[in-house]
Amino acid sequence: MQAVNTPIQKNEKLNANTNGTDQKKTSTDEMNNSAAKVGKTVGKPFATNPKMTMRNVDVFYGDKQAIHDVSLDIGKNEVVAMIGPSGCGKSTFLRCLNRMNDTIEICQVKGEIKLEEMDVYHPKQDVVPLRARVGIVFQKPNPFPKSIYDNVAYGPRIHGLVERKTDLDEIVEKSLRRASLWEEVKDRLHAPGTGLSGGQQQRLCIARTIAVSPEVILMDEPCSALDPIATAKIEELITELSEKFTIAIVTHSMQQAARVSHRTAYFHMGKLVEVNDTKRVFTNPEHELTEAYITGRFG
Amino acid sequence: MDKKSMERHISHKFDEDLEQIKNMVLKMGGVVEQQIVDAVKAVETADSDLAEKVIRVEDDVDLKEVELDEACTSVLACRQPAASDLRMVLAITKMTRDLERMGDEAQKVAKMAIAMQDSGSKGYEEARHIGALVQKMVNTVLDAFARFDVDQALEVARTDKEVDREYKSAMREIVTYMMEDPRSITRSMNILWTLRAIERIGDHARNIAEHVIFLVKGTDVRHTSLQEIERRIGKA
Amino acid sequence: MTNSNQALSTAEKVNQSLQKRYRAEKRFKAYGIGAIAFGLLCLVVLFTDIISKGHSAFFQTYVKLEITFDPVEMGLDDPSDTKQLAMADFDSIIRNALKEQFPEASGRRDRRALYAIVSNGASFTLREQLKDDPALLNQTVSVWMLADDDIDTYVKNREDADGETFAGRISEKQMGWVNTLIENNQIESRFNTTFFSSGDSREPEQAGILGALMGSLLTLFVTILLSFPIGVAAAVYLEEYAPQNKFTDFIEVNINNLAAVPSIIFGLLGLAIFIGFFEMQRSLPLVGGLVLTLMTLPTIIISSRAAIKAVPPSVRDAALGLGASKMQMVLHHVIPLAMPGMLTGAIIGFAQALGETAPLLMIGMVAFVVDIPGAITDPSTALPVQIFLWSDSPERAFVERTSAAIMVLLAVLISMNTLAIWLRRRLERRW
Repeated sequence: MQAVNTPIQKNEKLNANTNGTDQKKTSTDEMNNSAAKVGKTVGKPFATNPKMTMRNVDVFYGDKQAIHDVSLDIGKNEVVAMIGPSGCGKSTFLRCLNRMNDTIEICQVKGEIKLEEMDVYHPKQDVVPLRARVGIVFQKPNPFPKSIYDNVAYGPRIHGLVERKTDLDEIVEKSLRRASLWEEVKDRLHAPGTGLSGGQQQRLCIARTIAVSPEVILMDEPCSALDPIATAKIEELITELSEKFTIAIVTHSMQQAARVSHRTAYFHMGKLVEVNDTKRVFTNPEHELTEAYITGRFG
Repeated sequence: MDKKSMERHISHKFDEDLEQIKNMVLKMGGVVEQQIVDAVKAVETADSDLAEKVIRVEDDVDLKEVELDEACTSVLACRQPAASDLRMVLAITKMTRDLERMGDEAQKVAKMAIAMQDSGSKGYEEARHIGALVQKMVNTVLDAFARFDVDQALEVARTDKEVDREYKSAMREIVTYMMEDPRSITRSMNILWTLRAIERIGDHARNIAEHVIFLVKGTDVRHTSLQEIERRIGKA
Repeated sequence: MTNSNQALSTAEKVNQSLQKRYRAEKRFKAYGIGAIAFGLLCLVVLFTDIISKGHSAFFQTYVKLEITFDPVEMGLDDPSDTKQLAMADFDSIIRNALKEQFPEASGRRDRRALYAIVSNGASFTLREQLKDDPALLNQTVSVWMLADDDIDTYVKNREDADGETFAGRISEKQMGWVNTLIENNQIESRFNTTFFSSGDSREPEQAGILGALMGSLLTLFVTILLSFPIGVAAAVYLEEYAPQNKFTDFIEVNINNLAAVPSIIFGLLGLAIFIGFFEMQRSLPLVGGLVLTLMTLPTIIISSRAAIKAVPPSVRDAALGLGASKMQMVLHHVIPLAMPGMLTGAIIGFAQALGETAPLLMIGMVAFVVDIPGAITDPSTALPVQIFLWSDSPERAFVERTSAAIMVLLAVLISMNTLAIWLRRRLERRW
């Protein structure tokens, strides 16, 4: 049987994807090393109305460099999806945005990351106010082994956002409503959060995050442990939340990136290969590696 | 990651599915191409048997169109193709439609051939030149698709311009005939219809060429002038 | 065809090997059951031995005598006068009562043997009685008094399974008197409250474990109060705050080593530091507690670290991600979740401390202490040390008391472990 893609198509594709990048110089020999093909980021990495700006970010784990010179903007009320093969550094990069990498001693971040005027990695910048502004939702639903109410109320309590119990009740209700969980749990607010189903737990985690009223929400593969129905609910939620929050989401599901995000960033071996409007990325990506990844041609 | 792995999908079955669809399109294209060749020949040589054959084959073409649609639907539903794969499946569904229309037009030409033969007239030389052009277009566009060759597709688009010009001049000629000799109006009208059908086949070939360009380049070049197309795909 | 053949033969092979596997599995299970059975057997032997030897210690033989509170004999005229009461000679009225009952005992030796039937602690019983009821003066009443330990041993063991008479350390004459007393229903076996309510004594019938038990509890109190907070704090620091470097590795290795250091070394350390350097008194539960704290700390630190490590990182991430500070994360999430594990480890450590003898010997908690300690600065001994002391004594009555004390110690240990299980069940949460 003959392969679908004849050599002619290959050449065509190469030409098609070169637009102004150094790809034109790529010879057939060099193609054997895909890392060599990652040059400057192609597409539209910058936003007109940025909420977070990252410039020339390098991340090292000890001697190993995990992120190479990544520059990216996340626009206000924008949903940016980060995709790429396992180990490409997308999660590492996401965790830099609210310094969750601080817990790893050997992790070192260079370059500039800014949340509006705040320099995230400034030596004098405390992580507590940063994380109050940049919330994070993790891959595995991780509610505290406490009641649903206490889970949501934890953030406002530690940050001293409220003084009266009624205000706290209000925040809890509002957050749960926004996470589309209120109707399901309003009668058992004092039941343990760990007793909920996986999808509900993840929405509880989202409610817990938004209870602090952050400006940016980071999501690290929020649906990878959930079934399709729960995933659909979370995706719906992300779309609703984008009206109020700025969202950066790492996902392994390309369809999910295609469904929820405005712009999609493709990472490959620690480098940001391409950032483009999601529509563009999934119909006609600029970079050959992006194409190979989203069409399922990576072995 | 070597070159081979970049060309193939991780899923071998996906490759096979796409391969199969592509082969079905080429097969259908082959049948339609033969239909057109036969229809033009039937007109030229006033061969009613050949014309009958063209009409019979049309059922086969319709069947192939349905089969292709089903295959494309199943790939869309099961594989959720993206980027070039998505463009390929989309282009193929559209191409199938154009091919089927081309078959319809060939059928019309064949019907004309029969009608003209019934009226006792001999074959018509007028259709030869424009018919040859269109045959070449169809052949080239199928080749372009088989090889994902944008240059060949552009060639087809250029030839279509030529076909249009030929058609216009032939039409003027026939109108002159009709004015000179009103008795030839019936015959002239038949020729006109035939030429019109052949010209439509050329238009469909151009559509297919545009689909090929979309499939390869990812730019939609429908409803644009040749210069614009060339500019957009950076060939000018 | 070859395929189906192969499939068939594979299935057959599997079936053949299946029998073998079943047998191997059964053998494996049998080894486990055997191991458990051996353990249980040892435990049963130990318990049977201890209980069979010790159960009799919970009963004590009493002798009933007609006592006349003769003020002349006692040299006392006012029972409400504590000085007179303390000076009064209650032994003489007991002797009189015995003489009256057994007038045939006439020689000095016989008299002495006769008087030895009643414990020399009986006079305290009479004194208490008279003090409570001064109207008893000049009256004659029947009084149940402690029998001497030799009499007690004879009464308990006078007939063994073969029907042979066991005399123990008493003479034939004494045996005759005792038998007469038994016939007259003047001898009775009662529950031994003395054992639980008094301190140590040279006389087995008057010896109790309360002093040692209190000493142990006071020592343990000091140990718990010091070692748990210090251990948890050290574990939290090492797990959550300490940087990963050579120095923390060094500390870790040392802690692990300390857990294996013989306990007597800690005793020597305590002797040198607390008694030698800080010049504390010997035999204090405070010093014992400090020494046992040193000994228990490594165990608590190691088990607490394990419990802290077992707290899922996702919970830490969740807290940090919300903007909790490190301290908030530790106090609100890590410690509550690690608490069951930390408590289990700690209670195992405390149980070990409770059963520890060697370091206490070094700091002088081996002293003969009659008084029951009421504070951590009162000299005292500890249960295991008491057991050690009694097991050294020649009297047969001390043998049964040794076993009884072991039973009490075991009961305390079992209740502590039960408490550990209960606490763990109570605090454990699923995540």
